[in-house]
Amino acid sequence: MNANTPRQGSDSDSGSDFDSAEWEQDAQLLSRTARDLPSGRHQFHKERLMAHIHEQAQQDERTAAQAAPAQAVPTQAAPAKARRFRLPRPAVTLPAMAFALSAVVVGGVVTLNGGDGARNSALATGPALTTDIGTATSKGVPQLLDQISLAAAEGDHPTVKPGQYVYIESMTADTFVKIVDDKASLASHELHRRQVWNSPDGTKGWLIDPAVNESPEGETLSLPDENGNPLEGGLNHPTYDYLAKLTTDPDKLLDLIYKETKGQGNSPDQQAFATIGDLLGESYPPAELYSALFRTAAKIPGVVVVDDAVDAAGRHGVAVARVDATSGEREEWIFDKKTHVFLGERSVQVKQLKDEEGALVKPGTVNFTSAVMNRAVVDGMKQTPSQASPTSPASQAG
Amino acid sequence: MRTRVRAGDPSVFAELFDAYSRAVYNHAFRLTADWSTAEDVMATTFMEAWRLRGRVDPEGGSLRPWLLGIATNTARNQFRSNRRYRRAAGAAAAAETAVPDHADAVADRLDDRRRLATALTALATLRRPEREVIALCLGEGLDYEAAAEALGIPVGTVASRLSRARKKLRAVAEAQLAAPKGEAGRTVTGVAAEKVRGNREGPRLPRQTRGDHANAIRPAQEGNR
Repeated sequence: MNANTPRQGSDSDSGSDFDSAEWEQDAQLLSRTARDLPSGRHQFHKERLMAHIHEQAQQDERTAAQAAPAQAVPTQAAPAKARRFRLPRPAVTLPAMAFALSAVVVGGVVTLNGGDGARNSALATGPALTTDIGTATSKGVPQLLDQISLAAAEGDHPTVKPGQYVYIESMTADTFVKIVDDKASLASHELHRRQVWNSPDGTKGWLIDPAVNESPEGETLSLPDENGNPLEGGLNHPTYDYLAKLTTDPDKLLDLIYKETKGQGNSPDQQAFATIGDLLGESYPPAELYSALFRTAAKIPGVVVVDDAVDAAGRHGVAVARVDATSGEREEWIFDKKTHVFLGERSVQVKQLKDEEGALVKPGTVNFTSAVMNRAVVDGMKQTPSQASPTSPASQAG
Repeated sequence: MRTRVRAGDPSVFAELFDAYSRAVYNHAFRLTADWSTAEDVMATTFMEAWRLRGRVDPEGGSLRPWLLGIATNTARNQFRSNRRYRRAAGAAAAAETAVPDHADAVADRLDDRRRLATALTALATLRRPEREVIALCLGEGLDYEAAAEALGIPVGTVASRLSRARKKLRAVAEAQLAAPKGEAGRTVTGVAAEKVRGNREGPRLPRQTRGDHANAIRPAQEGNR
């Protein structure tokens, strides 16, 4: 910081033997003893420090919890013990629970049809999804993203081997303009489960999303592009292999994003933000890149913090967001307030547009929302993590 | 800030780290004469800061003096004996001037290295308490009050130690810089010259580019930012 800046203020009380020129000259002697930490070491030590603090804080809490019942009656040991397992892991909450939660929070929007093959029927539609806009501020954005980035670096992301698949399960809903007999109105796809499988090279995949598929079985994503060539990874269609090779230097990454998305979207900054947002939602990047994505986002102008946002599964959190000035939508990435784990993302209308469709979409309308419920690496397409585990005990039966 | 530190808010430690890790790292280098030890001291300093958070005075200004004080203690534990410091400083100074480097053969780069070697050699001639005051006041620009707070000694002691140390430092440095440049007698004062205890680090290496056959591309030890 201000190393080597001499302060003469206090010299006055020590006599006249130190004039500022002499001080300058002496300080000059040490001028070469200041330098930055070697590349990457700042981040490394910072992450280690935060992990240390996290660990110590938990330990303190534990000793406090153990000390309490020692003085009280022995039967109170149980609640004290339970406190240890308090750390929420929202990303792996069961989808069933999500249904229950969302039914309460997005009340009126979701009509569950008893769970009996909701996927077999065409997806029900309902009235527009709405939300409280919350307050947005640009204050504290770097700090929040910094904390998020640190939390992301702590997470354990598996590597995906050839033959395996990245499985992502989300809860999603969206609002759209429906036109019946030339009359436009707002409607929404009810909250539903979306499951997607992708091979690390991106050539094989499967999608089950009742809002997209015609058949309840889902549909294949193993398709070549228009020219018959297999899909190659890129920022707009990231494969795991592509992400694993991507730079984790925030400056280089941001340069790349601006370069690759040039001319797309409503503004370069918004497009960069949206590109990162897409990587957060439906991909499973290596932890190092995942953490770097947030440090990259912190460098995009116009990013704000929204104090309260609800994800598709009804979980409240704090959001990192950016308003698209052209469309009047605010894209929000929602994180758990305490653990800073990514919960999901949504797009909220915050400004009413003057055109025909815009008149329908009032501020507060949720245009799209998606909560990540489960991310895993599985060994087969259409296999879910819960299906994968019973295979080994089965062999013991015989 | 201070209240948040006292409350043990983890995010405030992340902020402290961002703001002051470089200063602590450089300060630690001046006290250990070794960049990798300095890195260890820096890391330990912030963990110590977390442990000692409850002792922070709720009233006061920047927490930089506090952190530099912890770093000073940590470095002191690393280097209990002054002799070890001198050896490290000597080695580091020699390494700075001896690295044969084609790309660095530019005169001012060489000058930078010489300057660092001089600083280290000069710091090595000081006693440890003097070196600590020099590192805090000259190196990190703390005023007497802040340095006193960091070291836990009276302001008057800081002033007298600093004055003595600066005289020594200047004398050594001038002798060091003057000799190879052939500018002896330009600024060296009589008093200062007397204080020089002689060059303990052996003869200086000749100032010429050696090993022109060395790799043109050097390892990225200085980082790329």
